[in-house]
Amino acid sequence: MKSKRSNQLIKHSLLLGSTVLLLAACGNGDDNSSSESASDGNDGRTTLEFWSFWGSGARRETIEAIIEDYNASQDAVTVEHVYQPWGDIWTKSLAAIAGGNAPDVIVQDINSVKQRAEANQATNIQEYLDADDISGDFYPQLWDTVLYEDEAYALPFNTDTQVLFYNKTAFEEAGLDPETPPATWDELEEMARVLDQGSGDSWEQIGFYPRWNIGADVWALNADGGNAWFDNSGEVAINTPEKVEALEWMLEWQDYYGRDTINQYEAEFGSGVSDPFISGLVSMRGQNINYYTNLVENAPDDFEFGVAPLPEKEEGSGNWSWGGGFVLEVPANTDHPEESYDFMKYLSSTEVQEEFGMNSFDIMANAEANENLKEHPDLDEMGQMIYELADSNLEVTTITPVPLNAPDFSSLVNTEIDAAFLGQKTAQEALDDAQESVENLAQ
Amino acid sequence: MKAMHATNNQKKTHKPKWNKRKRNEALWGLLFVSPFIIGFIGFMFLPMVFSFIGSFTNYNITSRMDFIGFDNFRRMFTNDQLFLTSLYNTVFYVILNVPLTTAGGVFLAVLLNRNIRGITIFRTIFYLPAILSGVAVYVLWMQLLSPSSGLINTVLSWVGIAGPSWLFDPNWTKPALILMRLWSVGGAMLLYLATLQNVPNQLYESAEVDGAGPFRKLRHITLPLITPIIFYDVITSTIGAFQIFQEAYVMTENGTGGPANSLLFYNLHMWNKAFVAFDMGYAMAMSLVLFAIVIVLTFINLKLAPRWVHY
Amino acid sequence: MIESSETKYVEDDASSASKAQSKYFKSKKRQERTGKILIYLLLVVVSLVLLAPLVWMLSTSLKPMAEIVRFPPTILPETFVWQNYMDTIQAFPFFKYMGNTLFITAFVVLGNVFSNSFIAYGFAKIDFPGKKILFALVLATMMVPGFVTMIPQYILFTRINWVGTYLPLIVPAFFGSAFNIFLLRQFYMSINNELIEAAQIDGANHLYIWSRLMVPLTKPALITVGIMSFNGAWNDFLGPLLYITKEEMYTLQIGLQSFSNQSTTQWNYLMAGATLVLIPSILLFFFAQKYFIEGMDLTGGTKG
Repeated sequence: MKSKRSNQLIKHSLLLGSTVLLLAACGNGDDNSSSESASDGNDGRTTLEFWSFWGSGARRETIEAIIEDYNASQDAVTVEHVYQPWGDIWTKSLAAIAGGNAPDVIVQDINSVKQRAEANQATNIQEYLDADDISGDFYPQLWDTVLYEDEAYALPFNTDTQVLFYNKTAFEEAGLDPETPPATWDELEEMARVLDQGSGDSWEQIGFYPRWNIGADVWALNADGGNAWFDNSGEVAINTPEKVEALEWMLEWQDYYGRDTINQYEAEFGSGVSDPFISGLVSMRGQNINYYTNLVENAPDDFEFGVAPLPEKEEGSGNWSWGGGFVLEVPANTDHPEESYDFMKYLSSTEVQEEFGMNSFDIMANAEANENLKEHPDLDEMGQMIYELADSNLEVTTITPVPLNAPDFSSLVNTEIDAAFLGQKTAQEALDDAQESVENLAQ
Repeated sequence: MKAMHATNNQKKTHKPKWNKRKRNEALWGLLFVSPFIIGFIGFMFLPMVFSFIGSFTNYNITSRMDFIGFDNFRRMFTNDQLFLTSLYNTVFYVILNVPLTTAGGVFLAVLLNRNIRGITIFRTIFYLPAILSGVAVYVLWMQLLSPSSGLINTVLSWVGIAGPSWLFDPNWTKPALILMRLWSVGGAMLLYLATLQNVPNQLYESAEVDGAGPFRKLRHITLPLITPIIFYDVITSTIGAFQIFQEAYVMTENGTGGPANSLLFYNLHMWNKAFVAFDMGYAMAMSLVLFAIVIVLTFINLKLAPRWVHY
Repeated sequence: MIESSETKYVEDDASSASKAQSKYFKSKKRQERTGKILIYLLLVVVSLVLLAPLVWMLSTSLKPMAEIVRFPPTILPETFVWQNYMDTIQAFPFFKYMGNTLFITAFVVLGNVFSNSFIAYGFAKIDFPGKKILFALVLATMMVPGFVTMIPQYILFTRINWVGTYLPLIVPAFFGSAFNIFLLRQFYMSINNELIEAAQIDGANHLYIWSRLMVPLTKPALITVGIMSFNGAWNDFLGPLLYITKEEMYTLQIGLQSFSNQSTTQWNYLMAGATLVLIPSILLFFFAQKYFIEGMDLTGGTKG
């Protein structure tokens, strides 16, 4: 019996041991693959891990084709594309940086480069620029975003701008000229009233609602000569008279349609068939210009639409708009910054930028690429027109890098703006309070 | 392990056999509970110590960990409007959630606690929603709560009520989550049911002889008997409700907090501070405050227990 | 449980029938009957309310989008669009994610069953100094909100480079969890000590007693723990959300969440996805109902 028992004991120890080993193995397996990808592969080429959030559609196909071309064009480096979902990518990259296994190149938010530079999360790439200055290739306001203490920490990749999309068929049916989109806020309102069909809580057609697909911050900036919550000189400028007026204007729209009605409709908004602009429910809407791709993909063939700059508050106040964008960055403490920079430079080159732009309708950071796209033979008339508009709109587009002294100020502002839309505060009170709390945060 | 085995079988020693056996037993005991001890130290105790220390720093994982005293705690209550919003939302949710789910669980258990044909089928149906959890349930409820195409407002419209916009109206977001929570109240129900089924029938019969109606029986027999379980349920569901996170994260698009931050719960705010802003020091300080709140509430519950719990 | 309650029911009926002469009992019987009808009515109404969401989910998952947005909505689909399920499976790598989820789940179940029964045996059947305090500690850990340890744990896993692997999701399962230890300890306590003492006289050690005698005896309880762990791991969202970095390693929960972000308000696909993810839990519930119910019964360890 005793020997039998020892056998059992050994058996169980083996079972336990093998389980632990198996676990360790599956952990190690992952470790191996990631460390392999960060260092030399079998064929003597260096492997670079490149993270983007371009997970589907044209962007993924294009970036993967571009990477394939790059890998074929030289024999020192193999780039491997890893998709990370939007929103998670920043979290995951930080964890990777902290864990010492960061990717080699990553697509990052354009507005927070300075923050990451300050926190030692990004690699300083100034030395490569000193050797070969390509900063002039980019739109100047985009280049500004990548500088921290006058040294570069990233290369701008793309940007966007908010414009007005309008349904030409709806315009015609309502007796409006489909070639004359609204130029001012007053015209916008007049036209919306003409386009409206329905009343109370039941509408077949809603002319326009400012807060759909565009933030209150964009209209505030549009009203205030392109000055965002932090103005162009870096001061907190939340409760300026223009911004208060903009908020009051948005509140009027809400009162007109009714808060509950707005909520009801908003709840059913989605992509594809449930897109309210494509379904004809909403006739005009402010939106990121690359919404164009969405229309091309999802709208029926006979869907006629136009694109115009955002209307200005009043004549002469300017069609100010807001843009975001993305940069290419080398995380801190990676093994191959030089190779990584070379790949980033490739992605910023005019031809590659052109290729990416042509398929995604993103506005590229490389100014020449956008110039070329305006009359690119592979684009149809509408496509060229989009780039024409994009290029001119960039002149009045403000980029809003997050201020280093108040990185999470926007939640404070949004809270106050929400309070105004809930009727708890007037526009003036809400923005006054926001001004105070952001000043408090920033000092 | 072999060594232990060997000592077990050594026959000749100076110490009395009893002591050796006892020591041997103790070693075996420690061996058996060692996974818990290791896990407790590695995954709970040390992390909590680290968290405690980190609460007093501006730790951000990559570049800094400076001691900043009570600054994180001061910021919470003076500089972070959203912290107060999240605390308010969470307390609001707990106050609504705990009594309703407890009452719901007791109600279903009392309803099920009778010897009639087919009762097990009803028990199965009542319990089924409780075992369903995760993203699929949240997605399902996003549809049920959808203002115009959802089931709930459809049913309400049959009786002529225009339902609210639920997840899109800041006044209705939290009730919407409570509704979802009530659907799966079957877990608590089973706890109560198990106790109720052990109640001897004579108790009810003799009460009936005394002329007690159903409500008096409920009030004077059933409820007192299940107070220990209510007590357990209240404590655990309070702790659970304070940790509400996933619902809000999934149902408000990556944890933005819903309309007017009405679903920005404590843990969601902590999550955003930790994993979006990477303000780890601050987030750890928040977790410490949460822990303190839970301890105080549990303590209050324990203190109040003798007044209403019948053992 | 069914048998016992139904025999009781019959007995009740018979005994009251024998006393039916008395007027008092007659009226009481009538009262009981209306009472019973009321109870049934209530039970049916509550059941309908609780089942409605699931029926609605199934029905919506089979409707075409046009029918979903129509007002007033239909209860059952007019046209059954089974294609919704095909489209959903193709919209995100459903089977790959299912494989990943099963992989993690298998280890978590193994770890939980193994470690908890091991630890619980120690607490139930072996005397050692400090046992009471240690067991109080086990119970106390139930009171610690998960979010309190989440951040430092995350930092720990970051430092040892486990982020991006399944290890943070699997390894902790091998170190026991308070509720399961408590549950299994209850079961072990109900087992007579004589058995153990007899084995010890035969020279068996605790490892042998645990693995050869106790584990077989507590099989129902272990199945309960296994099933609850399965459900927990299958539906875990927070863990994968924090620790999985690559798309090809996603679990169903993360996959469904990102699918729901992409296909806002496309209810036909979303409900099909939700149904697919819930089916294993529902099936498991129907096949192993008994064990679920035992798992919830904190006082009933002895019944196992």
